Amino acid sequence: MATLSNRLSRWTLLLFACALVNFLAAQGLILAGMTWPARALSAPGTLAAVHLLVIGWLLLMMLGALFQFVPVITARPLTSQRMALWALIGIEVGLGGMICGFFGITASPVLAMALPAGATAVLLGVLAASWNVGVPLVRARPLALPGRMVLTGLVFLVITVMLGLSFALAFTVPALAPYLAGLLNAFGDHALAGLGGWFTLTAMGVSYKLLPMFMLAPEDRGIPGDCVHILGTLGFALAVAAGVAQVWVSAGFLRIAQSSGYVAITIAVAIYLWDIRRIYRTRRRTAIEVHNRAAVGAFGFLGLAAALAISSLGTGRPAAGAPVSVFLVVFGWLGGLGLTQLYKIIPFLTWLGRYGSALGRASVPRVQDLVRERRGGQWFVLYFAAILLGSAFALSGSAPGFRSCIALVALATAGLVTEYWRAWRGHYVQARHAEAAIPPFLASPRE
Amino acid sequence: MDAAITPDRQYVLAALHEVIDPELGYNIVDLGMVYELAVDAGVVKISMTMTTPGCPAQDYILAGVYERARSLPGISAVDINLVWEPAWSPQRMTPIAKAHFGIQE
Repeated sequence: MATLSNRLSRWTLLLFACALVNFLAAQGLILAGMTWPARALSAPGTLAAVHLLVIGWLLLMMLGALFQFVPVITARPLTSQRMALWALIGIEVGLGGMICGFFGITASPVLAMALPAGATAVLLGVLAASWNVGVPLVRARPLALPGRMVLTGLVFLVITVMLGLSFALAFTVPALAPYLAGLLNAFGDHALAGLGGWFTLTAMGVSYKLLPMFMLAPEDRGIPGDCVHILGTLGFALAVAAGVAQVWVSAGFLRIAQSSGYVAITIAVAIYLWDIRRIYRTRRRTAIEVHNRAAVGAFGFLGLAAALAISSLGTGRPAAGAPVSVFLVVFGWLGGLGLTQLYKIIPFLTWLGRYGSALGRASVPRVQDLVRERRGGQWFVLYFAAILLGSAFALSGSAPGFRSCIALVALATAGLVTEYWRAWRGHYVQARHAEAAIPPFLASPRE
Repeated sequence: MDAAITPDRQYVLAALHEVIDPELGYNIVDLGMVYELAVDAGVVKISMTMTTPGCPAQDYILAGVYERARSLPGISAVDINLVWEPAWSPQRMTPIAKAHFGIQE
C-alpha cells in the first residue's frame, strides 16, 4: 500500500509560513507609522504594506490552500508539485522588488525600476500557480459550485495582476506606454478585481466546500449558491470593466453599468451570508470546532464591509469609507477567514506528515489533539475585537487609536502563529503518542 | 495463543476501531465508513468509503486499514475495495458516533 499521497501539496505549509511572516511584517509597517491613516494612501509605506498584505499574506495563503484544496474537489493531482515552489519564489521575489520600487519612486529612478520588474515576477508566479490549479479544475469539468467559483476567481486574479503590472509601468516608465498613464486613476478597480473578483469569490467557493465538510452540513447549495456565483461574477466584472473603461471614455452608460455591478455584488454578498447562516443552522455536528466558531467573525466583517461601502457610495463620499471598507475586507473578512481555517488546515497537514504513516501500526493522536482550542479561541476573540475597534478609530480619523488596535491585532496574530507552530511541533500531543511521530516537515511528502 | 485464533468478521472489525479518520477524530468503523467486511480462510475482504471524495487522508486511511488488518494473527491477505456508491453521510454513523458528534437520530 502507498504510504505517501499525491493528494497532498508538498509546499503548502511553506507557503503558509511565508504568508504569516509577510502578514506580521505588514503589521509592523503600520505600527511604525509608515502607512495610512498616519500617511497618505499613495505613500510608499502604505503601498508597501498593502501589497505585503494582499500579495504576501492573502495571495500566498490562498494559493497554499488551493494547492491542497483543488485536488480534494477535483479528485485529481496538481499539474506539478514543483510548479507550486516556482510560483512561491516568483511571487516572493517579485513582492520584494515591488516594495523596493515603491520606496524608490521618490528616492531613486533606478530603484523605482524594481517595481515593474517585481510586478513581472509576481505575474509569472501567478501564471504558474493558476496553471497548476487551473488545469486539474478544467479537466474535472463539469465542476461543482466550489470549483466553478475558484476557476472564476483565477481569471480575476490574472486580470488583477496584469492591471497591477500596467500601473507599475505607468508609474515608472510613462514614456514607454503613455496611453497607460490614465490607468493610475483606476486603482480602485484594481483593488475591486483583486479583493472582490479574486479573493472574495474564491473564499466563497472554498467555504462552500469546507464548511459543510467540517460541520457535516448539506453540501448542495442549490439556486442560492448559483445566484452568489453568477451575480458575484457579473457584478465584479461589470464594476471593474466599466470603472477601467471610464479612464478613457466618459459615458453615462458606463456609470450605469458600474452602479449595476455594485448592486449585483451587494445582492450576491447578501445571499451568500444568508446561505452561510443556513449552513450553520442545518449542520449535523452540533459541537463545532473553534475554527468554525471563529469564522463567524469573518463572515460578520464581510457584511460590515459591504454595508460601509454601500453607505459611503450612497452618501456620495466613497473616499471617506472606502479605506475602512478595504481594511475590514483585508483584515476582518479575508484575513479572519484565513487565520481561522489555518487553525484546522495546519494541524491536519501536520498530522498527515507526522502521524499518517503510523495509522494502523501504532497509537496516533487525533488532529484535534494537536491544538488547544481554548487558547486559539482567546486569540481569535482579541483579533476580531481589535479589528472592530480599529475600524471605529479609522472612521473617526484617529491614527493613534487605529495603531493601538493594530498592536492588539499583531499580538493576536503572533499568538495564533505560536499556536500554529505548537501544532506543527506536536507540542500538545501526549507522550503516549510520541513514538509514532516522525520529524517535523515543511515540504514533505515527496512528489 | 495466536495460532489458536480463528479470525472472524467481528475480530477484524474490533481491530479496525483503532483506525481513525483524522479530520473527524473518530474511528472509521463507528463512522460507518466500512460498508462490508468478510473473512475467508485468513483473507480479509473490505468494501469501504471516505467521508468525501478526494480526501487528502485517503491513502493513509487505506494503508492504516491494511496494516491493522494484516497485522492480526491468522490473517494472510487483505483486499480493500474503495467505493463511492452509496455516498457516505452522517446517517451511516453508529448511535455511539452520532452521540459523540451531537447528531440527532
